[in-house]
Amino acid sequence: MKRSVAAALALVTFLSVTSPAQTFDIKTRTLKNGMKILVQEDHSIPNAAMYIFYRIGSRNERPGTTGISHFFEHMMFNGAKKYGPGQFDRVMEAAGGRNNAYTSYDVTVYQDWFPSSSIELIYDLEADRIRDLSFDPQMIRSEREVVASERRTSVESNNFGLLNEQLWAAAFTAHPYQWPVIGWMVDIENWTMADLKRHFEMGYSPSNATMIVAGDVKADDVFKLAERYIEPIPSHDPPPKVTTQEPEQLGERRLVVKKFAQVPILMIAYHVPQTSSPDYYALQVLQTILFSGQSSRMYRRIVDKDQLAIAIDGSFEFAIDPTLFTITAQPKEGVKPEAIESATYDELEKVKAQSVSDQELEKAKNILLATFYRQMKTIDGRANTLGTFEVFFGDYNKLFSAAADYAKVTKADVQRVAQKYFGEKNRTVATLVPEPEAKQ
Amino acid sequence: MRRLFTFALVALIAFTAVAPARAENGQLKLPPFKKVRLSNGLTLLLMEQHEVPIVSFNVIVKAGSLADPTGKEGTASATAALLRKGTQSRTADQISNELDFVGGQLDAGASFDYSNGAAEFVKKDISKGLDLLADVLLNPTFPQDEVTKLLKQRIDEIKAAKDSAQEVIGNYFAAFLYGSHPYGRPPRGDEKSSAAITRADVLAYYQTYYTPENTILAAVGDFDAAEMERTLTARFGGWKAPAPLVLKLSDPAPFSGKKLLLVDKPDSTQTFFQIGNLGIARTNPDRVLIQVINTLFGGRFTSMLNTELRIKSGLTYGARSSFIRFRLAGPFVISTYTRNETTEKAIDMTLDVLKRLHEKGVSEDELKSAKTYLKGQFPTTIETGDQLADLLAQLELYGLDASDVNGYYAKIDSMTMADAQRVIKQYFPIDSLVFVLIGKASEIEPIVRKYAPRIDKKTISQVGFK
Repeated sequence: MKRSVAAALALVTFLSVTSPAQTFDIKTRTLKNGMKILVQEDHSIPNAAMYIFYRIGSRNERPGTTGISHFFEHMMFNGAKKYGPGQFDRVMEAAGGRNNAYTSYDVTVYQDWFPSSSIELIYDLEADRIRDLSFDPQMIRSEREVVASERRTSVESNNFGLLNEQLWAAAFTAHPYQWPVIGWMVDIENWTMADLKRHFEMGYSPSNATMIVAGDVKADDVFKLAERYIEPIPSHDPPPKVTTQEPEQLGERRLVVKKFAQVPILMIAYHVPQTSSPDYYALQVLQTILFSGQSSRMYRRIVDKDQLAIAIDGSFEFAIDPTLFTITAQPKEGVKPEAIESATYDELEKVKAQSVSDQELEKAKNILLATFYRQMKTIDGRANTLGTFEVFFGDYNKLFSAAADYAKVTKADVQRVAQKYFGEKNRTVATLVPEPEAKQ
Repeated sequence: MRRLFTFALVALIAFTAVAPARAENGQLKLPPFKKVRLSNGLTLLLMEQHEVPIVSFNVIVKAGSLADPTGKEGTASATAALLRKGTQSRTADQISNELDFVGGQLDAGASFDYSNGAAEFVKKDISKGLDLLADVLLNPTFPQDEVTKLLKQRIDEIKAAKDSAQEVIGNYFAAFLYGSHPYGRPPRGDEKSSAAITRADVLAYYQTYYTPENTILAAVGDFDAAEMERTLTARFGGWKAPAPLVLKLSDPAPFSGKKLLLVDKPDSTQTFFQIGNLGIARTNPDRVLIQVINTLFGGRFTSMLNTELRIKSGLTYGARSSFIRFRLAGPFVISTYTRNETTEKAIDMTLDVLKRLHEKGVSEDELKSAKTYLKGQFPTTIETGDQLADLLAQLELYGLDASDVNGYYAKIDSMTMADAQRVIKQYFPIDSLVFVLIGKASEIEPIVRKYAPRIDKKTISQVGFK
């Protein structure tokens, strides 16, 4: 139940309650061209992970060229000056490395995983494409097909993806979060080379990016490489500010998708604030109490006791602008989605009326702490988490102060955010209704 | 996502455990671990890992879905899932609450050859964690209402899974490839078999197969090994149960000739397809060599398959191949998808790449690249406590040991071009192939006839997978 291209950002934040057994030492440097580098040394395996977060995503797009950020992400692998088409991957894999990337509403993130002995090569490859990405018409043509195939797999052939896309389109009437990160199919078919070049010029200034390296490296060596390979790349202005704000939703919205399916799906979305909001922590605690684990309120009521659904999920992602808290439920056979709606609203009303218990509050904080440790198990997890915090909270140190922020959350806070955000006027409801097979 | 994650690497990896993994002289060494066999037959495996304050457990019971009664496929899987749904002293609710309260994790399931549970706790709550783990493993009661609930849930889950071709194609492929051999039976069951399972079946399964002699318990994490040994001995040493039943299994036979199954899913805008035949067992002596070749053929982004089907032609978002290894021979399967209109083109292209593998083989450069790639990526597959616990338990299950890890790089390094040629001929099918397609039959049926003399048809709504 994830937006295909934003899946990797569905991180749960964490908290380091009393004294965590681990301190994760971070060293930083900002290059003359404005790119900030974070390094976390970890010598447990002879590998390193490099993440580069660019502050550009689908929220920076316009109708007519939706999905261009994601398409651009694909093109970043298709040839630059020193390393031509196909070379980026071949050269990296031949050196023991592997790579990927993801695009979300807010950021485009490039990931490299490699034996630490290859780090200079990685810098060479990255610098080449940041500075001199090329746009070969043949590559554009074939990559367009790849993206179309990706869209078919994650949306058209995926009932959850399909319904989720409609949910966001209905919940947002003005703000760019309205359109899918992967873009509408008709826009995928119509992007031009000029669109791509414009996007590159808009978003890919080194000053618009943060680089994180975690693993078997020495910070000073990493900074030296960054200075040599990345610092000479010139900067320019960041993307224009996104000024559109979603107007307040004044009443419930409902939509239905009818198609061939074995089972129905229900999704409910509520508008919630951006990550930098002071309500963030209380919302995260509420989410944990309602949805995390089989003792959570929603699982217990809707899956276990009333047996209305085979699964129920609820979460919200890191976001630069106000976003959605989405609840997804898979009804059991013979259960009407409306029954799940009633039960869900009933549970929300309980929290609004009576708040939660001390035990639930403490449990939520324990879960969030354990989740933190799990995120920090791998060099990959650390690189991603550090970058995410740096971008969405404005400071990676918020990672280490999260403990104190969560400790402050009270039952009253949880109740308050439930009341503030989980009301009828603020919600959008989407249902997928199975239609019988069409006669041929 | 930019690309499809290929799981071929993880599926093929021999057991490895590193905490920390140090490359000495270009070789990766498994850190020390202790193996203890208790007087009741339970095998303990203990490894210290102090990176993060977490303790991971992995439990393997040496019986899986192969032991499901006929017509009741899904019994082993349901039994494993029901362990935490009630014990002599705790209800399902209490278990969930206690588990969640400490931010712990506890999940269990079954695959063909074994049932498997994984648990994880923050160090400070290890005592509570072990209370729960011991309770669910030793004292489950399988309350009737929980059994009923879970089995009903399973049926709905299977139906829901059929809305995604990707999720179910493996089940269809296994059934079609293996025919009546038990590896063709779905570990989680199907709509009909799940409805046939009773509480008596679950209880019988637990009593027959969950015995200490049949069980491996691996612990990896932030503890003192000697102390953990004492603790586990105290908690699990008294577990008494009858000697386990040993399942006899006959070797599956590769399919000879060509056959094709078309599963109609009329809302499809893409065809998902799998092509393959019988592969290798977990302990096949050529497994590392095969992994190197498979990396080149379909096991990484720049593989032959992905280069043709995605990079050059854009026909798909991802094409890959894997050798899935069981106690006996698992499948070799090529797996990809494409839009309806290009189904024939994509299948033809896949068969061409397979032909090219046989006719042209791989080059010295390619071999070198694959070797470097595997060694470069290997440490991240054995980075965490849970990966290590899983690895240790699996090593023990299959009668392997630390040399499987410690000798891995040396095996890779010593592979020659002659090895490559032999392995391609011996293990990668070419003339005898099994095809499974899930797609819109009204559009693609005409084009499938050329691939096999035998064409089977089903619809996705039909019960079961065979």
